[in-house]
Amino acid sequence: MDFAFTPDQTLLKNSARAFLDEHCKPAAVRLLWDDPRGESAAMWKEMAQLGWLGLSLPEEHGGSGLGMVETALVLEELGRAAYPGPFWPTMLLASAVAEHGTNEQKKRWLPAIASGDARGALALLDTDLDWNPAAVATRAEKTSTGWQLSGLKRYLAWGHVADVLLIPAHAPDGLGLFLVPPGAAGITWTPMMNMDPGTRLADLKLDRVPVRAEDRLGAPGVAAAAAQLALVRRGAVGAAAEMLGASRRCLDMAVGYAKIREAFGQPIGSFQAIRHKCADMLLETENSHAAVYYAAWALDAGAEDGATAASIAKSYVGDASRKVCSEAIQVHGGIGFTWEYDLHMYFKRAKALEAQYGDAEFHRELIVADVAK
Amino acid sequence: MDLNYSPEDRAFRDTTRRWLEANTPSEDLKTLAERKAWHRKLYEAGYVGMLWPKEYGGWGATAMQQAIVQDEMAKIGAPPAINGLGIGFIGPTIIVHGSEAQKQRYLKKILTAEEIWCQLYSEPNAGSDLAGLKTRAEDAGDHYVVNGQKIWTSSGPIADWGLLLARTDPKAAKHKGISSLLMNMRQPGVEVRPLKQITGHALFSEVFMTNARVEKSDLVGKLNEGWAIAQTTLGYERGGNSLGRVTRYAIAFHQLVRATKQLRRNGKPLVEDPAVRATLGRLYAELEVQRYAGLRILSTLNKGERPGPESSITKLSYTEFEKRYYDAALELLGPWGQMMTAREEFEEIDTSSGEAGTWATAFLWARAGTIYSGSSEIQKNIIGERVLGLPKEVRADRMKA
Repeated sequence: MDFAFTPDQTLLKNSARAFLDEHCKPAAVRLLWDDPRGESAAMWKEMAQLGWLGLSLPEEHGGSGLGMVETALVLEELGRAAYPGPFWPTMLLASAVAEHGTNEQKKRWLPAIASGDARGALALLDTDLDWNPAAVATRAEKTSTGWQLSGLKRYLAWGHVADVLLIPAHAPDGLGLFLVPPGAAGITWTPMMNMDPGTRLADLKLDRVPVRAEDRLGAPGVAAAAAQLALVRRGAVGAAAEMLGASRRCLDMAVGYAKIREAFGQPIGSFQAIRHKCADMLLETENSHAAVYYAAWALDAGAEDGATAASIAKSYVGDASRKVCSEAIQVHGGIGFTWEYDLHMYFKRAKALEAQYGDAEFHRELIVADVAK
Repeated sequence: MDLNYSPEDRAFRDTTRRWLEANTPSEDLKTLAERKAWHRKLYEAGYVGMLWPKEYGGWGATAMQQAIVQDEMAKIGAPPAINGLGIGFIGPTIIVHGSEAQKQRYLKKILTAEEIWCQLYSEPNAGSDLAGLKTRAEDAGDHYVVNGQKIWTSSGPIADWGLLLARTDPKAAKHKGISSLLMNMRQPGVEVRPLKQITGHALFSEVFMTNARVEKSDLVGKLNEGWAIAQTTLGYERGGNSLGRVTRYAIAFHQLVRATKQLRRNGKPLVEDPAVRATLGRLYAELEVQRYAGLRILSTLNKGERPGPESSITKLSYTEFEKRYYDAALELLGPWGQMMTAREEFEEIDTSSGEAGTWATAFLWARAGTIYSGSSEIQKNIIGERVLGLPKEVRADRMKA
């Protein structure tokens, strides 16, 4: 047993840090905040060249065949940089295609995603704020050539830059997962302004949107529901990794500031009120690290507590990152509350992710359902 | 990163489980003699002193094997070994800092619990500020004469020996002039008065020393360098084994779930109440996170790395969690959770079984963890200064020194 990263994993983490320190500086993120597209196509290409977009995809489809631990390492660094873009939704869609797709679907999407030519997005929420597949209200009706989808999908992240959407909908033969082009007829987009300008959300109205028969992903019914829930859980672990990165950044900034900012003739970090706060923040961050990487490993290893570990990571790290990032603002005082200072970028990213892939309450119920049978 | 147990560790776990199933006493151990006999049996099976070097009677096992034993003992509910302070902290201190003669004289009997040890550190006016201690050991030629008072001494009433911190140079600055001594507790100059705790048990005590005698040969390390030695001792204490502890929390959790199925409110079992479910989900997540963090520390220890100031994070994390855990449990359990069970005075109570009557003791006992062996506030100072590198505070005693 070894909880430490392998030399290869450490190398990946360090190179991700170095790349993002150069290409995803706070100033670059702020430019993207004001950009209508909200993500950098150039950075996306470079991420593809670094191998990040195919990291966990099968080698025969242009990927590197690595796992969730490596993906989480990259996501932690992306969170630390408050990177705005469709990396995680795209990776999740790709993982669903890799696991449940036909050969044709894999050939169509996986190499394109790995090479940076395609992006994906997931329509996991309907009008009910429940991430459980049972809450899907969108319907799929059979047509002569395939299906047509009708319903309202809400809070869809990065759909406006996606080349393919994964849309769960109820068909006569049970729940189905459908791969839909975002420009299909009958789709109306309503973009929204999120508190975190680095998280781009939109509502999606589907009015008899045609989907080809061969664009249905995986088996219908129970299998589709299981696949959707597994996607929520994998998404939760990735979101937890990003929130961990945001925590680390906020902790580093708070500690750095506490060392140099003086009040009453001494650095504020020498006051126990500040030092103890920083110690608590480190505790929460280290526990978050343990939660994220345990869950990531458990998913890779197929451990029997993998599903529960994912929910534990999301609920624990969601609470912890909110606390850590918020306390970092408190340590900074007034400057931490300004738009000009970078701290709020990470605070907002962590908060935005808290509500994605199931919030803490949602995952606590999954945990209890599992352990209090 | 690989959290699978190795085939050797899995085999070791199987062997350990089989041994415990065959040997664990079926009835509660009621007397100290019975506890000592069980301890001896555990020792001879290789389950006590596992990390000690073989040359001193230990087993030279890995941190992982030790964790597996504690985990399996927690699972089966086996009574723990005794002399925990001696085996966990005092013996290792003698191994690192003691003379050859001290090693020969004391170590084996610590392991076998033939001699029970206590730690004589805290004083009525020196707790968190331990270096402010006033107990004096004066040079009387071939021995030291000790006068003073110690407090919060665990196992005091049953201890044969104590690791004592005393001032040997009253003129030196606060952190200097302190020495580490091994003191015989069974002598006329040492009086032990049990202190009743909020749990109603008297597991710790006050110790009064009036012209007590310590042999010159029982000085550990160099004269006036006891403070540095105390730091290693505390380091071992905080290193801790968390796996067995978390297994006990987990056993208690399953009892908690069982209780929420039996206790009813508003005409239905507690477990059907969404607010109760949210609490249960949070507690389980938190206790699992303690386990993950424990595995992380364990895998570091298993590589032979010594616990550093980072061990303060572990200690802070689990003691604060334990308080939140039992606070929340008693809130759920109502009056049922407040029932006490009576136990023998000398026993280290297994507050983690989660059985009826143990919740209240566990709830009360949880107050101790954030105070003993460096309070949460002291841990946060250590984390702030030595892990995060924050500047030291301006302290009156440092200004004088």
